Amino acid sequence: MQDAAVLKGTKDGYEIVLDENAGIEAIFSALKKLLNGLQAQTLSTKPQIISFDIDTGRRLWSAENRARIETIFADYADFSVHKITSNVITKEESARRLEQLSVHVIDKIIRNGQDERIQGDVLFLGKVHEGGKLLVSGNIYVLGEVSGIIQAGTPDFEDKMIIGDVHNAQQVRIGEQFEILDDTRHHIDGGTVIYVNDLHVLDYGKVEDLKQINPKFFNQIGGVING
Amino acid sequence: MGKAYVITSGKGGVGKTTSSANIGTSLAMLGKKVCLLDLDIGLRNLDVVLGLDNRIMYDIVDVAVGRAKLAQALVKDKRFDDLLYLLPAAQNTDKSALNQDQVKEIVDDLKPDFDYILIDCPAGIEQGFMNAIAGADSAIIVTTPEISAVRDADRVVGLLEQHPLQEQPRLIINRIRQHMMKDGSVMDVDEITHHLGVELLGIVLDDDAVITTSNKGEPIVLQAENPAGQGYRDIARRLIGESVPLMELKDEVKPTFWQKVGHWFKKS
Repeated sequence: MQDAAVLKGTKDGYEIVLDENAGIEAIFSALKKLLNGLQAQTLSTKPQIISFDIDTGRRLWSAENRARIETIFADYADFSVHKITSNVITKEESARRLEQLSVHVIDKIIRNGQDERIQGDVLFLGKVHEGGKLLVSGNIYVLGEVSGIIQAGTPDFEDKMIIGDVHNAQQVRIGEQFEILDDTRHHIDGGTVIYVNDLHVLDYGKVEDLKQINPKFFNQIGGVING
Repeated sequence: MGKAYVITSGKGGVGKTTSSANIGTSLAMLGKKVCLLDLDIGLRNLDVVLGLDNRIMYDIVDVAVGRAKLAQALVKDKRFDDLLYLLPAAQNTDKSALNQDQVKEIVDDLKPDFDYILIDCPAGIEQGFMNAIAGADSAIIVTTPEISAVRDADRVVGLLEQHPLQEQPRLIINRIRQHMMKDGSVMDVDEITHHLGVELLGIVLDDDAVITTSNKGEPIVLQAENPAGQGYRDIARRLIGESVPLMELKDEVKPTFWQKVGHWFKKS
């Protein structure tokens, strides 16, 4: 039978693969055995600290068990854990990532004092009243009326954009950049793209120029504007 | 079984108490049995507007903590036989003296005996507001054409969406100055109603007599000719289910020379 903890050499260094089918206790004892053996081997050579990557395969380790791995390594002065990786993610994380990728159609009134927070891109058809906030982690395409605060790329993604007519908004924000529209004289209409430029400053462009503004996004939507 | 309406606005000074008093009085004039509940604890005014401030023996906090029975605390308005009652607010404590369960219990106790229970909500959106909406079946939102009042009304509509009552809220636009609305220097009725997305219950014109009558403790609805009183009477009729057309905003007509002359003779 294969050992529950196996040492592998990769181009980045050493990796310990933990068997995803073995019991947790079996893995811990196998890990100790492996490290004892390694220590015996390295004693004869010049001492040198070796950092390991640990791969848990198709099993997610709880924080508690991860901590136990760390304590086992703490007994060996020459060994340390570089990182613990896994091929799988939690359901919550996968749901979050899926949400991040999808486009949400929002058709509601966001009133004074209300914050609407959304993960992913948004097609906005509703209204943001003065004092209301629409905070989106992705891009926003506005077809509704915005008289409050609108933010794309919440909290700090500066590669996101706001497209559409937001000339009535109190503030536009992308990532950590913001602008109070009363203080600016930009012409904003339905074909305006608001984005963060290379100087990390909010900039205003036209949707026809999207290819130059954000080539990656332009390719993602198929490179077609207005039909 | 009666129905409880909370009269609220968010902003202070837009006419919640005046509206409560006048709608309550109008409903009583239409033969309905009405109880007005003043929840503006610490800053009570509803009793003054109704001219009942000298008759208060117990208040709502006394009832809530069991110092008095509900029937003992109710103040009867003698002008309307047995139709209009007031449950006054306490004046010697503050809004945190009551909680939502106590208010709900009092309103539920009143419901079998009255057709309408009007709850006068304090300004603000804190404990007092939460108490006031706890017992209500529906809300009447009062605003004026001022932007600041409309903003606060918007906030209140948002809060009511988070704590939905049995029925959708309805809107009263108070203190309308016809010439300002005509020349576009304030938002007009349609704009406000559309912006807030709330059904319009009625409009009330601004009138000096509202203040003078309130000072005397006589609600304006008792004056048959007054346009502001007409607005409140229309609102009361809509509340009992009648269909009443919205009052038209007219240009204020300057009196002609002969009307002025006639006016001098009337005075003397």
